[in-house]
Amino acid sequence: MWEHRCKVAVSGVGFSRVTRSAEIPLAAHALEAVKGAVEDSGLAMSDIDGLATYPELPATGHAVIDGVTIVSVNCMMAMLKLPNLAWHVQVETVNIGGAVQQAVNALLAGVCRYAVVWRAMHNPKGTYQNLPGTYAQGPAQFTAPYGFGGPGQGMAVAYTRWLETHKQNREKMATLAVTQRRHAQTNPHAYFHGVPLTREDYLTSRMVAYPFCLYDCDIPVQGAVAIVLTTADRARDLRPRPAYLAGYGQRLAFEVTGRIGSLSSYMEGGRSSSRLTWERSGFSPADVDVAQIYDGFSASVIYGLESYGFCKEGEALDFIQDGRIELDGELPLNTFGGSLSTGRIHGLWHIIEGALQASGRAGARQVEDVNVSFVGASAPIVQGTTFIFVREPY
Amino acid sequence: MSDWSKVTRPIPVPNEWTKPFWDAAKEGVLKLQRCQACGHFQHPPYPTCVNCVAIDLAFEPVSGKGTIYAYTIMYHTGDKRFASAVPYASIIVELDNAPGALMAANLLEAPYTEAKVGRRVEVTFERLNDDVTLPQFRLARGAS
Repeated sequence: MWEHRCKVAVSGVGFSRVTRSAEIPLAAHALEAVKGAVEDSGLAMSDIDGLATYPELPATGHAVIDGVTIVSVNCMMAMLKLPNLAWHVQVETVNIGGAVQQAVNALLAGVCRYAVVWRAMHNPKGTYQNLPGTYAQGPAQFTAPYGFGGPGQGMAVAYTRWLETHKQNREKMATLAVTQRRHAQTNPHAYFHGVPLTREDYLTSRMVAYPFCLYDCDIPVQGAVAIVLTTADRARDLRPRPAYLAGYGQRLAFEVTGRIGSLSSYMEGGRSSSRLTWERSGFSPADVDVAQIYDGFSASVIYGLESYGFCKEGEALDFIQDGRIELDGELPLNTFGGSLSTGRIHGLWHIIEGALQASGRAGARQVEDVNVSFVGASAPIVQGTTFIFVREPY
Repeated sequence: MSDWSKVTRPIPVPNEWTKPFWDAAKEGVLKLQRCQACGHFQHPPYPTCVNCVAIDLAFEPVSGKGTIYAYTIMYHTGDKRFASAVPYASIIVELDNAPGALMAANLLEAPYTEAKVGRRVEVTFERLNDDVTLPQFRLARGAS
């Protein structure tokens, strides 16, 4: 087991308003989320001395404008003018989970005391995924001429591979979409709070990129979420009950840029990112009381459940049936509604919910008797990170 | 069947790692990058062998026959240039003698409903302009 297990904790969490597309600059969303997280922890902004984010703009073919379409560490520094700032980082390889892990490392190294991590997501008006213009350069030269324009299609091809290899039926995914949407009705920050979804809605919705229908895709939104991380001893002195980090891992598998459709790469990414989390924490999938698994596209949940070891390959769509992922089920899943319900904010919201469930702060959707709370924070193929939070240090 | 006649595809721009692929396609030959140390085929091209990390790589002809590894049927018309072909099949092909080298393509000359994992396909070539010809795939004809 990891010698540093339970030595860092999530304290505060914060949320901005979530809107369908950009109405105010993204920086305002990020600031709202960061201020919310600091306030939730009971700290003053001047206590914050570490900053980390993953600022990438997933919408393709749009200008990167700091403060408007992304919110970088530089942008946050300029806005907050933190008097005690001691450390910051901006990650690239493993999405926002990597920023959280770097903040954990910085806290363990003693180079900062209270770190804030945020994820701010822009939704441009108009088309989200634009193919290249007249010419396709770099990796796109082998994909864009065939109409492959965004991550949805890349994920969709692996999903047909999974469905037909395992002789499975996409209609079973309705259970995931409907259950998560029901969970979201207790999450007032979610974009689809107050908007129910029925099995009939799912089964009759328009196809986007087969096998993905509309409700297999998280809706692009404009918004931000943030967390405060600190050392466990400091967290115990703060207002919220801490969610202790028992272990983490990141995807260690290699995938050539531009290679798409490989189902085995998703599985290998997930296996490698979870293996060290299980080893470091000393837990196994059977010990998990509640799980948040990234669902930017619904099939990511399949790859996650299988590659993290919650069920066997080919069985995930059967695993989620019969009430197993309900709040009182065997494995309550994406209890905040998932990205399919909150809107596309990437995996920090999954990390937040994992921490809230571990610390007993999830309100109306709190799962009973949670100790071990698992998070798979990104699509496992290229950006996978996993975490386990616990209620009781051990 | 998808109508590709009104689709204006983005034109691939070869670079020093990929030029032999496009030069061969222009001549109606499918060539993939192969490691001269371990014999592994890979696609898309990469500066090193993804199997053994050797840098001695060359493009060699492959048979052009393979199976559909995976596919998606595109219904979304976000990019208007492809709108007239919707719904269309974008497929991923695994070639018989190049396992692991996954090629993107469209399924041509067949209804999109013919795209299924494991179905046999063969290469065909679609000329985009005087400089660039695109490898594509259609259902394999006869015994393969």
